[in-house]
Amino acid sequence: MRVAIFIVSLLLTAPLFADVSVSATVDQAHVAFGEAVTLTINVNGSHSNPQVGFPRIDGLNIAGPSVNTSMSWVNGQTSQSVALTYQVAATRTGEFTIPSLDVNVAGKVYKTEPIKLVVDKPGTQAGMQDTLFAKVRLNSQQLYLGQTAPLDVIVFARGNLPVRGISGFSAEADGLGYKYNGNVKSGPQTINGVAYNLYVIEGAISPTHTGTLNFGPCVIKAQLTAQSRNRTIFDEMMGRVEVREVPVTLDVVPIEVQPLPAADRPADFSGAIGQWNIEYTAKPTEVAVGDPITVTIKVTGNGNIANVPALGLTGLDNFKAYDPSSKTTASELNTTGERVFQQVLIANDIAVKEIPAVRLSFFDPVAKAYKTITQGPLPVTINPGTAGHSAIVTGTQRARPSEKLGQDIVYLKGALGTAPLPVFFGTPGFWALNLLPVLGLACALAWKRRQDRLAGDMAYARRSRAARNARKQLANATTPEHVQRVLQKYFGDRLNIPTSGITGAIVEERGLPAAAREVFDACDAARFAGAATDMTALKQKVEQVIDELENVHR
Amino acid sequence: MNWKTCIVSLCFATSVLAGDDFKSANALYDAGKFANAAAVYETIQPKTAAVLFNLGNAHFRQEELGRAVLDYERARQLAPGDPDILANLRFAEERLGVADLNVPARPVARFWKSVTVSRTIRQWSAWVVSGVWVIMLLVAGAIWWPRWRTGLVIVAVVAGIGLALAVAALTDRVVSVPPAIVLARRAEARFAPLPDATVHFQLGEGTKVLIREDRGQWWLVERCDGQQGWIKADVAERVF
Repeated sequence: MRVAIFIVSLLLTAPLFADVSVSATVDQAHVAFGEAVTLTINVNGSHSNPQVGFPRIDGLNIAGPSVNTSMSWVNGQTSQSVALTYQVAATRTGEFTIPSLDVNVAGKVYKTEPIKLVVDKPGTQAGMQDTLFAKVRLNSQQLYLGQTAPLDVIVFARGNLPVRGISGFSAEADGLGYKYNGNVKSGPQTINGVAYNLYVIEGAISPTHTGTLNFGPCVIKAQLTAQSRNRTIFDEMMGRVEVREVPVTLDVVPIEVQPLPAADRPADFSGAIGQWNIEYTAKPTEVAVGDPITVTIKVTGNGNIANVPALGLTGLDNFKAYDPSSKTTASELNTTGERVFQQVLIANDIAVKEIPAVRLSFFDPVAKAYKTITQGPLPVTINPGTAGHSAIVTGTQRARPSEKLGQDIVYLKGALGTAPLPVFFGTPGFWALNLLPVLGLACALAWKRRQDRLAGDMAYARRSRAARNARKQLANATTPEHVQRVLQKYFGDRLNIPTSGITGAIVEERGLPAAAREVFDACDAARFAGAATDMTALKQKVEQVIDELENVHR
Repeated sequence: MNWKTCIVSLCFATSVLAGDDFKSANALYDAGKFANAAAVYETIQPKTAAVLFNLGNAHFRQEELGRAVLDYERARQLAPGDPDILANLRFAEERLGVADLNVPARPVARFWKSVTVSRTIRQWSAWVVSGVWVIMLLVAGAIWWPRWRTGLVIVAVVAGIGLALAVAALTDRVVSVPPAIVLARRAEARFAPLPDATVHFQLGEGTKVLIREDRGQWWLVERCDGQQGWIKADVAERVF
């Protein structure tokens, strides 16, 4: 009963749902960089799920929504509302406007009021400047375009501060190509006699354009543990503590990015920036003509190894040189690396005394100058081979070097070949060849069916052979008695009855052609009265009977 | 001398003469006189796959790559399984940068096309005839020898699937839209058969197109990726 009353009440108050109102609010319009803002869109007076169209807002990331539907019934008045909650995070500081949003409720579009949002540079929590703060570690604030330099963000926490770890990090670094390692390293350090715990977020920057670029502001969220006021005995036993997130902020660090100097640039410079060293070795250094020498060039140092070009050997006229191979390893942030080139050389002549030198030109950002380092030449001793000093080993046991095969069209055909044959499809021959097996199968099936019937149906077998046998025997008949016997046999087979009892009376009994009666009478007269009989006429009459019976009673 | 003897003699004489021309054209080619060789190849009748292949080579050497593609395509129509023809066709198309454009974009369509063009229409016809005979014999065998019925029916079903594929391939070849090869360095496919109509897309030399509609001076063509447009008939030539 109560349910029925409730439903009736709902129906009665249904017109009230038609008054739909939509509003958009934020929990705070003025936030520090790194803090999230909660945007709520409230739809009152409707229970249907609203659709919100969000335009792209530069500098804001909007995630969500989470939907919360509520209904209240007070003093017979029913009210419904739907709340859509979004998390708004700024990717930079500044003023933003969330424009008027189109909210589609049950097919009708409502508009919200625009909302202004101010995102400021973050400020460190009051009272914690000396106990919890962050700094940037960068070797130099003057970088060169293309240079990869380590940039670490370090959080300093007083030794007695119960910091559990770092739970969040966001930084503004437009144009700096900043990337960082998510695994925060930590360790103790004493500064001016004060013990600190350091949390290091290792990173690196690789500027993509010149000018003054800013790193920061940054927000690092440190997790501090605290004793809960409502701590239970179970919390004590389990060692549970309350964790609180405290934002640690870092102000802007300006970084000056300059182009590489044009002066004194070596001709063979190809973009390597950093501090590089070369190790150049050959093994073995004493071989016979035709034996391989493996040359290894190892480049190591600080900087982005990807910019170090392949180091090739030149002046190898007296060597057979195979294609070099290279292997590159780099640190996760590309601040250090190693590249190893290996090349197999085979000396052609005992006159060879050395392997040519190798050189690398690069820009050293610390020295702020171009440098060229040269290693070698490497002395080698080439002894005569077993087949004379000019022999080159071409043994098949050696690893076959990769070779680049030439490409061209295949040469001419020497034979004229056969003339193209006429089109076969659609010709009478094509259709005949296709129909022939089908017809053949049909005929074979019919024949088999007839054979099966002849074997299993005696009446059919006798009937079907009656005329043919009769005609054959008739041709050999010489007397009226023979003719009568032929006719009796024919009727016996045709009607599937015993032959012996057949007389002229059968003609009337079975409604056979009247000519048959005449044949029987003529044969009887000839046999018993000795009357003269025209055999030819008699045979013709029998033929007539057979024809008539076969044609009419088929 | 009856008429059969006359025809045989004529064919023999023609083949002897064609063989002489073929050898002389090959000699011209070897001497580096590619234009002269091409001219001789053009005169040889009937055009065998070898003649068209060598003609394609002569055009290739003269940097007439679009015409070389056309010759190789024509040769492939006569000898679809010839690896030399396929290699040179592919090489010429790659040189022109149209190798990927000349095959259907979808993998299934590309596979089916490769199947259908792997045999001549005559070969597919022979496959169909053979399939019909084999199936009829298998059916007859299954009827006459009930003991082997199950095995014969299974083989007949497999043969039936093969026959269906052969019929489909034959139908595809017979009713397919005639292809053409673009010979101009660059051709413009337009939205309408009018000189000032908007250009829809560009066709490079050696691009294979299907002639959907022939209006004399204008063809409505379709590229292998399905794009359609009107081109002037004189910028391309039919494969057959």
